[in-house]
Amino acid sequence: MSAPNCLRCLVRPSAGIPSSTAPRTAAHAAARTAAPLAPLAPLAPLVPRSAPFSTTAANARPKKEAQGKDSSKGHVRAGKRLTLGKFKKDRVAEKGRPPAPGERKAYRKRITLSNDNAIAVPWLTDLSPTDLADPANIAKVLALPDEVQDQLRASEAFKPTQCWGMFRKPAVLVRKETVDVMSRMQASVAKRQTLRLALTGDKVSGKSMTLLQAMTHAFLNNWIVIHLPEAQELTTACTEYAPVPGTEPAQYMQPVYVLKLIQAIKRANEKVLAKTYTVSAHPELPQNIPANTPLLALANVAKEPDAAWPVFQALWSELTAQGANRPPILFSLDGLAHVMKVSDYRSPAFELIHAHDLALIRLFADALGGGVQFPAGGAVLAATSRSNAPRAPSMELALAQREAEQAARQKGDVSKDGSKAGVPQRDPFFRGYDDRVEAVLRSVQVLRLGGIDKLEARALMEYWAASGMLRATVDEKTVSEKWTLAGNGVLGEMERATLLTARV
Amino acid sequence: MVFIFGVNFNEQKLVKKALESFYALGPQTSARILAKYCIHPRAKMGTLPPKTLTALTAELSTMTIEGDARRIVQDNIKRLRDMGTYRGRRHAMGLPARGQRTKNQVETAKKLNRVERRG
Repeated sequence: MSAPNCLRCLVRPSAGIPSSTAPRTAAHAAARTAAPLAPLAPLAPLVPRSAPFSTTAANARPKKEAQGKDSSKGHVRAGKRLTLGKFKKDRVAEKGRPPAPGERKAYRKRITLSNDNAIAVPWLTDLSPTDLADPANIAKVLALPDEVQDQLRASEAFKPTQCWGMFRKPAVLVRKETVDVMSRMQASVAKRQTLRLALTGDKVSGKSMTLLQAMTHAFLNNWIVIHLPEAQELTTACTEYAPVPGTEPAQYMQPVYVLKLIQAIKRANEKVLAKTYTVSAHPELPQNIPANTPLLALANVAKEPDAAWPVFQALWSELTAQGANRPPILFSLDGLAHVMKVSDYRSPAFELIHAHDLALIRLFADALGGGVQFPAGGAVLAATSRSNAPRAPSMELALAQREAEQAARQKGDVSKDGSKAGVPQRDPFFRGYDDRVEAVLRSVQVLRLGGIDKLEARALMEYWAASGMLRATVDEKTVSEKWTLAGNGVLGEMERATLLTARV
Repeated sequence: MVFIFGVNFNEQKLVKKALESFYALGPQTSARILAKYCIHPRAKMGTLPPKTLTALTAELSTMTIEGDARRIVQDNIKRLRDMGTYRGRRHAMGLPARGQRTKNQVETAKKLNRVERRG
């Protein structure tokens, strides 16, 4: 909760700080002596002397005079005072109950989606199934419907670093890239194909948010969504693993994580799964599942981590069963670099396990590489991360190559010669490349997210202003100012420049 | 509470730390034991299935740890003493064996250099 006035100077923001008092008082005095009745207003400087913003806020601020230091008194000689019990330890203040295990983390990771103190935006409308793919909605802010909020929350699409808690209702900005991704998804489903796309871009440019929008689109259109919210949870050796029996070379399942994933899938896709039926029987599971059972019942079989992986495999085989009546599927992952490297797990022979030997990640990598056909089409989306990403030189190279190829194709360059100057090549003196990673990323599409344009920025800032989070007139000047401060409209930087500054 | 190799551990204790609490079992060995039984490095004792616990106990019982490892050290010191070497005598006297000064700072030697060395 922020204070209504600036705590540093105790001036209300609307009051307007008088500019340069000293010269004005001198001018006042001169004016008074010369012509006492002369109006004072024209003497105020008409042209602002400085830019409306400063990039060095803390340093450029004029230093206040030191307060509380009374120089007239000088040194105070108090003499030596008798202090009784000075060798006793200070009493430790009563601290109360320490937080229970996991409580601090839960507090740190909590996700607040609404704020009753924020002003409700009257013109905000809920998203309808076709809204995100409609080019007419570019540069509009639209709200997430309540049901979809629950589904997104169940699949952990929201992140604690995003500013949902500042507004009355979670809403998203529809940008050009959003419509681009959604229309690609729709086109692939219309052709019963799978869109395989990697989202990349600078820090805080909205990669995870685009993923969230894709999931919203999928939920609204009754797709089945499988989302791996943090790839690092799978590869940094912090969840249980065990070899899958009968695999050569050995693959490893992660039973506890998969159990959590199945439960998330179940909660997020409950309605669709209840209407989708199995095509084959699954006698190998702990509870016999005959054919023509709802997939929800199949997902419910996973109660213990031991049974989680077989159930997930059964679920996956049902979802990808060819010729069956299946909804489209969205399989998404955030933090691609973590799954494109050697993981921190070790095999019984004490060798590091490649991330693609972890069964769940292999599933995703296969899907991303084009090895899986969804019966009704769908999409496999992966978002890279810039703030939390290990070095994955092969991934970076492959994405850069795909991007260069796409650019060449758009220009109409039809020659497929890989040794062209435009397409980056492997550094011959570097050994850290990974063939398996490059094989997976050989045919993905890459979408680079950059800054938003000023129209979108304006729509966003109008929404912020309507929610009471931005206390300024949204005009061309403010928009360009924030847009410029945010490195030409990098979305997260705009938030930082506008919403997350302490100056209210 | 979880038993491994006759020792009771808290369920919240890291398996890695629990293994390293045994004498003569350090980070290298514990990492290898964890990998051998597919236990991730951040696993807590409470999450291990009973099968793994018995396997760990069996594994530890084949290794030279705790009493066996201590006895090797003690035997080595005893051998030095029986031969009448300088190092053996210094151990018997509880003094530094490798030429350190004895004017002060001999607490470590007093603590460790004994014929029946503790650890």
